[in-house]
Amino acid sequence: MEKHANRAFLALLLAVLLAVPAGVALWSHRETAAYYENRALAERPALTGESLWDGSFGAAFERWYADHAPGRTTLLKLDTAVQMKGLRRMVVNDIVLDADGVLVPFLDFHEWSEEAYASSVPPIADRYEKLNDHITANGGVFYFIGFPEQRIYFEDHFPACLNNHENEANAADTIFEDALTGRGIRFLNMERVYDELGHPAEYYSTVDHHYNYYGAYAAYRSILDTLRADGFDLPVLTETDIDFQELPNPYIGSRNRKLYNLWPNSDRAVIGVQKNPVPYTRTDNGQPSDKPLFIIQEDPAMPTTYNLYMGGDFGETVLETNRPELPDVLIFGDSFTNALETLLYTSFDETRILDLRHYDEMSLKAYITAHQPDVVLCIQNDTFYYTTSGNGNVWPEG
Amino acid sequence: MAFGSMVLLFGFLPLILLCYFLLPARWRGGRNAALLTGSLVFYAWGGVRLLPVLLASCVCNWALALLAAPGKPFFRRAALAAALVGNLGMLGYFKYTGFLLDNLNALELQITVPAIALPAGISFFTFQAIAYVVDVYRGTIPAERNLGKVMLFMAFFPQLLQGPILRYGDLGPSLTNRRETAADAAEGAVRFCFGLAKKVLLADALGQAADVAFAAGGHLTVALAWLGGIAYTLQLYFDFSGYTDMAIGLGRVFGFRLPENFNYPYIAKSASEFWRRWHMTLSFWFRDYVYIPLGGNRCSRGRQIANLLVVWMLTGLWHGSAWNFVLWGLYYAALLMGEKFLWGGVLERLPSAFRHLYALVLITIGWVLFRSASLSQVGEMVSAMLGFAPGGLWSGEAAYCLRQFAWEWALAIPTALPLKAWIQARLETRRAAGSRGAAVLLVWGPKVLAFALLGCSVVRILGAGVQSFLYFQF
Repeated sequence: MEKHANRAFLALLLAVLLAVPAGVALWSHRETAAYYENRALAERPALTGESLWDGSFGAAFERWYADHAPGRTTLLKLDTAVQMKGLRRMVVNDIVLDADGVLVPFLDFHEWSEEAYASSVPPIADRYEKLNDHITANGGVFYFIGFPEQRIYFEDHFPACLNNHENEANAADTIFEDALTGRGIRFLNMERVYDELGHPAEYYSTVDHHYNYYGAYAAYRSILDTLRADGFDLPVLTETDIDFQELPNPYIGSRNRKLYNLWPNSDRAVIGVQKNPVPYTRTDNGQPSDKPLFIIQEDPAMPTTYNLYMGGDFGETVLETNRPELPDVLIFGDSFTNALETLLYTSFDETRILDLRHYDEMSLKAYITAHQPDVVLCIQNDTFYYTTSGNGNVWPEG
Repeated sequence: MAFGSMVLLFGFLPLILLCYFLLPARWRGGRNAALLTGSLVFYAWGGVRLLPVLLASCVCNWALALLAAPGKPFFRRAALAAALVGNLGMLGYFKYTGFLLDNLNALELQITVPAIALPAGISFFTFQAIAYVVDVYRGTIPAERNLGKVMLFMAFFPQLLQGPILRYGDLGPSLTNRRETAADAAEGAVRFCFGLAKKVLLADALGQAADVAFAAGGHLTVALAWLGGIAYTLQLYFDFSGYTDMAIGLGRVFGFRLPENFNYPYIAKSASEFWRRWHMTLSFWFRDYVYIPLGGNRCSRGRQIANLLVVWMLTGLWHGSAWNFVLWGLYYAALLMGEKFLWGGVLERLPSAFRHLYALVLITIGWVLFRSASLSQVGEMVSAMLGFAPGGLWSGEAAYCLRQFAWEWALAIPTALPLKAWIQARLETRRAAGSRGAAVLLVWGPKVLAFALLGCSVVRILGAGVQSFLYFQF
């Protein structure tokens, strides 16, 4: 028996060892992105004398080979299921599962000190001050709209043994807000607004790092209230003007996506359908676009993501409503803008939206000079306050 | 090439196995050539720039061993001296230049510290080379005339990066005369899979718990310090013994019997016994090539103490060019001297459980010295373990480390004990008594388990990659 067992075992093992390279050779070209990991798969590295000499070829080849192993996604999904349901881990794929029905990220135990934030904020705030002055010189008004990220909004949901960075985030947000308001910048703290509204749980997604449409609508109303209080005569979409609809599609939030969408939840994407729609024309990255405000899957069984709002992130989007009596607005910021855009454009003549992570035609300063918007809204979630790249790159260095 | 990487498992291994076993068994030279070529490709995969050091070491030691062989005394001594100076000089240059210059700069000398890339496995293949030349000089083994065989001895890929440290006297005969069998290959493959699982499933996970503790800084607690120390103690064992299992297993597939490096070190009842069970090929190397030539035990007590201090300081330095490694070596020197000259007799008379506890506590503290990034961290961790922690007794991090890695804790502790050997012995007894179930379990159990572990390990590698082996840096 042992002889046959040995031979069978070795034959099977060799078959497995050979099947993987065969699979890579046959199918490696088929996929270029890892959907659930939200990243591009590694490309096969070019073989050069230099890369062989310094070893970078071997490292790059390993990344490519591992990325294109046959059945990789299925195996990783299976592993995630085992970690979640079989081994019942507290944290799987950097997502905390024991957070009282909400998916929050696992955060490092290390915290930056208040002093560290205080010392790093002045140059950042100075750049916003220069931007504010530039906007004013071009006839506009600048507002910084700060949002709590989902993990901050649900900070009470973290298990007691994990660090939710509550104190650090409070200190960092306060230091940032004080620095901007101290330089004369209008700062609308949406966390405070939500708290005044009772901190409703339904404002934020349990499975995504964004708010949901209810949170976006509350933010829209708060922004409009602020602008109207400052003298802008803007039409407002009231709750009676909108039909809030919950989409039947399963909603894949960014947190649940890291769990291969295995976390059972009843989160659904919500859209606000205008009862009397404000017509608009749209261009994306300079090209005319017929994309609607909400990209809805026809098949209700097909999953949807936060990208349903405006179709995701674009370098530049322009929405024209041809109502010259209304002011123009420029919105720039992170993906928290996407859901807001579907509401804000109804209150302005021309709405220009920039995502500085993707827009590279000209600097923000030059863009403001070129288009002279009446209102400029910077929309950032608080995890990006101290970032100076992407949407934090608001003013040229030097 | 990283051991346990996808390229090794599903690229290099099938290729070398096919190349090797498609050559006729009687053409031993051809099979050795295939192994040598594969070994050099394996080494060069991490950067061809590192290959010349290995090649130069192979060629020089081969030539110097020929000169050191019994013959003219002058040439012999000169060849031995050249081999020692060359090997230790090379090791010193690549491994200790930065450390030396950093310490000189601490004395306010302003010397530029050059960036020197450390050739992988240099500590291991250099020690093998020294052992080979010294053994030839002593006349224990004959000098090998075939350069290819010496190169394969020094560069044999399964053990090239982290040992076990081979002796030519053990491996040399197998280079000429060995027999590859399906039984050996199956046993080797099973051991390889077990080793991979030890590394990927246990060591890498426990390493995350250790990292939390060693990064805690100002919020370190007593519980976290102990958990971190124990996690690292287990991580290091599964990391290094996992590699060794993979190396020995692969060696077995190719018909070699590599020496064991571990014998359940954490069941030791004293520090001395621990070192007879941990990294045995290194301990034997220091015994045979440093301690005994210095006089060993057969000299005065003062000389013995001096010998122990030298050996353990060198053992510490061999592991890394930093003061905490020196401190770790001296820590063991002190423990071994204490057990030899002071409390060893008393210890022998204590209950077994107490002796285990004594050894485990001292071993864990030892690994804390080993793992710490600086002497100040040594102080922070050890004082926290002794109850003086800035964060008090308990913290969320400690609870997280226990809960998140509950499965690894539960599996690691029995796996570090000789449970496998015990189960195997029981099954063999039952098989001898005629139990068919035991016979089936003995034949199929390890193979099925090996397949399952290989699958789980590969999935982990696909998801998180394989962390670098801890001993790889040495």
